[in-house]
Amino acid sequence: MYKLLLSWRYLRTRFIALASIVSVTLGVATLIVVNSVMAGFISEMKNRLHGILSDIEMAAPGLGEIEWPDAHVEQVEAALGDEVLATTKIVRVPALLNFQFNGRQFTQQIMLWGIDEETFGKVSDFLPYLTNRNKQTALSFQLEEAGYDAKLGECGWSYRREKAEILRQIEALTRQRELTRAATDPFRPNSAAETTSGQNTASPSAATAQAEPQATGGVAFPALPTEIPDVEAVNTERAATADVSPAPGPISAFDPHAHLRPQVRAEDLFNPARDQYTGIILGLAISNRKLVDEDSGATSDVFLLRPGDDVQIALPTGGSRPMPIAENCTVVDFYSSNMHEYDSSFAFMPLKKLQQLRGMIDPLTGEGNVSAIQIRLKPEADLVAAKQKLEQRFPSALSPFMIQTWQDIQRPILSAVDLEVTILNILLFLIIAVAGFGILATFYMIVVEKTKDIGILKSLGAPSAGVMSIFLGYGISLGAVGAGAGILLGLAFVWKINEIADVIQWITGREVFDPAVYFFSEIPTIVDPLTVVWVAAGSIGIAVLASVLPALRAARMHPVEALRYE
Amino acid sequence: MSETMRRKSPGFQDSAAGERTGRVPLRVARPIAMRGVGIEKSYRKRNVEVPVLKGVDLEIALGEFTAIVGQSGSGKSTLLHLLGTLDAPDAGEIWYDQQRIDDLPARQRDHLRNREFGLIFQFYHLLPELTVLENVLVSQMVQHGVWAYLRRRKENVARASELLERVGLSHRLKHRPNQLSGGEMQRTAIARALMSRPRVLLADEPTGNLDRENGTRVLETLLDLCREEQLTVVMVTHDEQIAKSADAVVRLVDGRIA
Repeated sequence: MYKLLLSWRYLRTRFIALASIVSVTLGVATLIVVNSVMAGFISEMKNRLHGILSDIEMAAPGLGEIEWPDAHVEQVEAALGDEVLATTKIVRVPALLNFQFNGRQFTQQIMLWGIDEETFGKVSDFLPYLTNRNKQTALSFQLEEAGYDAKLGECGWSYRREKAEILRQIEALTRQRELTRAATDPFRPNSAAETTSGQNTASPSAATAQAEPQATGGVAFPALPTEIPDVEAVNTERAATADVSPAPGPISAFDPHAHLRPQVRAEDLFNPARDQYTGIILGLAISNRKLVDEDSGATSDVFLLRPGDDVQIALPTGGSRPMPIAENCTVVDFYSSNMHEYDSSFAFMPLKKLQQLRGMIDPLTGEGNVSAIQIRLKPEADLVAAKQKLEQRFPSALSPFMIQTWQDIQRPILSAVDLEVTILNILLFLIIAVAGFGILATFYMIVVEKTKDIGILKSLGAPSAGVMSIFLGYGISLGAVGAGAGILLGLAFVWKINEIADVIQWITGREVFDPAVYFFSEIPTIVDPLTVVWVAAGSIGIAVLASVLPALRAARMHPVEALRYE
Repeated sequence: MSETMRRKSPGFQDSAAGERTGRVPLRVARPIAMRGVGIEKSYRKRNVEVPVLKGVDLEIALGEFTAIVGQSGSGKSTLLHLLGTLDAPDAGEIWYDQQRIDDLPARQRDHLRNREFGLIFQFYHLLPELTVLENVLVSQMVQHGVWAYLRRRKENVARASELLERVGLSHRLKHRPNQLSGGEMQRTAIARALMSRPRVLLADEPTGNLDRENGTRVLETLLDLCREEQLTVVMVTHDEQIAKSADAVVRLVDGRIA
């Protein structure tokens, strides 16, 4: 009883013990915060890493191809049986992406994926990471009228139409200027006949532009139509001209081959205001740049590309002698997994189109080769066992495929993160160990200070073990109070971590977790109860260990010497 | 009591019948409570052996007030500590209740100090973190485990209050030692020493740090205890006046009985 009473009284009256409690509290709180944030980061990262990689991937090495993929898929399903949830075929090839922004040419390397609209979303968590709402439920490579994320600004068909109109107007103005320059060029032969036959249906601005050279004795020239040329009307006119028997007229107007010329219909012509190229989904980071205002420190988004813009891609064809080919594509959406590695290099287009482009389709069977088969297993399936089954079914000697789980593929980064967590925990536990030495020093002081009390207790018949347990109990109490306060502080910190990050940013003027680097809108945290228990137990253990030596010293103290101590 | 404690000292049950080894004058034939035989004790100070007791023989009769007197450094306190098992002699024997106690295991010596002996010191030695009442109750807390103590708490508190009332401190139960005067602290220490109903009270200059009035009051309390409750009191003092009121006097000069 006296042990409990004295431990409690020492805890209440020795304020130096507060220093030990605070050091334990801070150590425990730091460990909980760091572990929670790390666990949040890791979980988020694993989800994203896993997201696009399915569970198991059977891939041809390098730029190689898997022939007869349907037969392989059947074999995979036969080998794994009920464990398979879905499979998909993909083509993956490095490519160059080329586009213009503000007159500047951007070229960068990308990893181009050909994906199947039907099955790819079932195998990996691809759809939730698309920015367009409509595509999150049903994947398509068509540009959408609406459903895009508001932060992208104006995009989709309305943006494309507007852009096409502006480009057309720019082109019209450019041509106008060129013609003006040509007409006023003193070295160019002047032809009055040409000018008079010109059809002047130009807009008022064009008319004004035309009027000036005329006034100065210059020439008149045809203005461009304000709209896309009505090709249909031209065709009808041409057809009519072709049908009627050649009318008497100037020889030069006669076109004997008019009926042989192809009939061009308006809808057959590519009209950027109405048509799109092959749809391509780009990683958001390819387009997105974060700008940081140096004065306010605020970040703003700039998009080099938006859904509705056109890009060019250059990629190698398939087969044994790859040749470069180029293709126009229209950006239809962005992929934003928040994994910078993926978002800055991945681009997706329809599987069939990519197979056609690369010449991977067998002309006889119509079946296209693929780069890899991705397999999604049922949640309860054992990943490693499934991989082994596939390796048995496709022995490496016969079929040179790389069969890897998503963890195998991301092994380097997962191992690095695990190592990082381990080292961080060791370092942080060392901090608590430092706190432990603080407790040791404090306890030694308290034991010295309480030497006379120890003598008194011994003179009253208290055994050495009892005296020792006063100080051990004191250590446990310090550890427990410190750990308890540390848990509360740590959990409160984790709970309000984003608000705290805002406050730190406000004070220091620097972003704590720069979204330009991490692509996190919020700091992810996961509190693992087991970790909390371990941290608390560890810190109490350290506090007890630190109090053992002083307690032993107290227990061994000679009662007479203790009583005489001044 | 264990078998080791039951070892008997032949011919040492009665001071009148036994051979007198000490030179303590005994006026009445009383049973012997404690006996020291050839006690030697020295301290080591910076590798120099300093002898304090050089073969002390003494007998303390049951229910008597024995004063150990001598000048400073004569070994009075050391002798008292040895009698109270706070320390062990280098040579010689100490007997209590017909058992040798100087070579007992630590646990049994703790037991003796807790149940049989009550110790009072010159500088009171109260625990500063505890109240007056708690200080008195400490020996009971040491004696019993948590549950056993809590079960008897009421009767213990009643007894402690009664003892404190007896020494005139019933109004000071909740005070801390630093709120008491020297005399009050010493009276608290007496109450604490009496709490476990000891058979021997060992007091090391209990009046040495008090003014005459308080000193007299403490002395009277001790004398009353001895006379009324037949408590054996051994008191170290250098005050000859106090020694005069004792039943027996052990005079120490330079580590020997004079």
